[in-house]
Amino acid sequence: MTYGETALRHGALVYESQDEYVALTVPFLREGLEAGEGAVVAHTKPGLADMREALGPDAADVTFVDVGSTYTRPARTLAAYHELWVEQLKENPSLRAVADVQFGSDPSDWLLWAGYEAVVNRSFAHLPLWVLCTYNASGAPDLVLDGVWRTHPEVVVDGTWSESDRYDDPDRTLRALTPEPEPLSGLRSIGFGRDPAEFRVRLAHELVVEGKTQAKALDLLVAATEVANNAIEHGGGVKDVRVGRADGRFVCEIVDRGEGFDDPAAGYLAPRPGVGRGLWIARQLTWRIEFFRAQDGFTARLWL
Amino acid sequence: MYAEELTPRQERELVIGAEAGDVDATRKLVEAYLPAVVGVAAGFPDAPGVERRELVQEGVARLLFAARRYDSRFGTPFWSYASFWVRKGMQELVAELTRPVALSDRAVRSLALLRRARSDYLQAHSAEPTDEQLSSATGLTRAQVESLRATERRPRALEESLAGGAETTAVFGDTIVDPVAEQELEEVLDAIEIREVRSLADELDERERDVLLAHYGLGRPVRTLNEIGATLGLTAERARQIEAGALKKLREGLAQAAPVRLNA
Repeated sequence: MTYGETALRHGALVYESQDEYVALTVPFLREGLEAGEGAVVAHTKPGLADMREALGPDAADVTFVDVGSTYTRPARTLAAYHELWVEQLKENPSLRAVADVQFGSDPSDWLLWAGYEAVVNRSFAHLPLWVLCTYNASGAPDLVLDGVWRTHPEVVVDGTWSESDRYDDPDRTLRALTPEPEPLSGLRSIGFGRDPAEFRVRLAHELVVEGKTQAKALDLLVAATEVANNAIEHGGGVKDVRVGRADGRFVCEIVDRGEGFDDPAAGYLAPRPGVGRGLWIARQLTWRIEFFRAQDGFTARLWL
Repeated sequence: MYAEELTPRQERELVIGAEAGDVDATRKLVEAYLPAVVGVAAGFPDAPGVERRELVQEGVARLLFAARRYDSRFGTPFWSYASFWVRKGMQELVAELTRPVALSDRAVRSLALLRRARSDYLQAHSAEPTDEQLSSATGLTRAQVESLRATERRPRALEESLAGGAETTAVFGDTIVDPVAEQELEEVLDAIEIREVRSLADELDERERDVLLAHYGLGRPVRTLNEIGATLGLTAERARQIEAGALKKLREGLAQAAPVRLNA
């Protein structure tokens, strides 16, 4: 099933009450079920209970997912949802999903998750998925609500699906919401070595000296390997590797010899033919990754 | 050390450590903020079906969730950030546990019948009955069986942590009755078991894990592929292949594509 230029249809519902939420989402899911589509409800436990009750016998055909511990970091949330979509699309030709966004109370969170919503439009563009992101308007600040209109091509208003007249290009939104990386002093060069294996040995030594847990050290080794392989394949090779601490976190910079790229969604696109997977993997395993042109070359800065 | 005794740097180190799955940092973070979590729980009126220890346990879980989400760059004090999630988690727990069961008397009787039939089947066959078998045993229609079973099904969690590496969790022992009482805080701390839940290495088989972790000195002395091979009765090249296979396995696990056909 194709919707417009992408397979994905990404809408939003801002609801004032649980009754309104149920009244709009249940028919949306039922329509999909009747058309032979899969159905997913992602919410906290009380929300899931409401939906289960409202769906009645149809609940047996719906997958219910508790998002109470989800929405920690955008890349990880994208990966978790993607894993769910992959599983569902193995059983269904297309899918409808209702997902309640846990946007929190801190303004820094709102911007981060607005960026997440913007990148969803690109991340899942190839999937036959109609996802309705729901936002509880109770206590939701204007900044969050404005972000909903900017990041969703469609918004449900008074029970009717409408095109958002404030929807903005995902890349432009993401760029506007992504802070410029600040220069870091205090990092020191450890070099790359002869090959990725030697690079991993050097990096692992630094992580062990830092006292990183075995699990976290392995995460960074895998992530850094992906970034390094990217640098080798697309960036003319690794010029330097620098490590150190900043803001309480272990940092690893990988500098390559190439021109670099300028894609704010790099590493956020869910796996598909024609799109590299290395940065998708690396983003899941790290706190964040920044890409920028430094004086000595195009740099990927991995924060653990 | 309690939260008010932590310097901002110490607080940041503990939060980052807990987010990274460091068991010691997690324990210290929970110790530091447990009084505050207990304070939030104390603000909830007593409700039938909701135990105070359950509220505190949920609060601790949400504290650790907040640690996995909190970014110190933005300057918000950690408890100012985390208290929202702690309170929200407790509110959701109360809503879940005090929710009236919206079943008619007839449905309640049918559910009881279904549970008995399932229990009888399990005892007789040591296997889970199908909906068809339950329908046959109870006289309920297949649709009725499905609907009643759906009311009891626990939702799965949307797992993030597998992709994000290590995660710790905190669980309570069963002996604590009232964690709100201040003198019992130490007992509550003792009852909390902080354990590492999972890591990327769990996706590997034992040999792959041994080779990978030994080659990079993770949790054990670092060794060359020659040394690793010698220990396993393999050549260094074979050990290298095992390592490459392990990395490939991790890569594929983290980057599975959806089974969809792209438009031309």
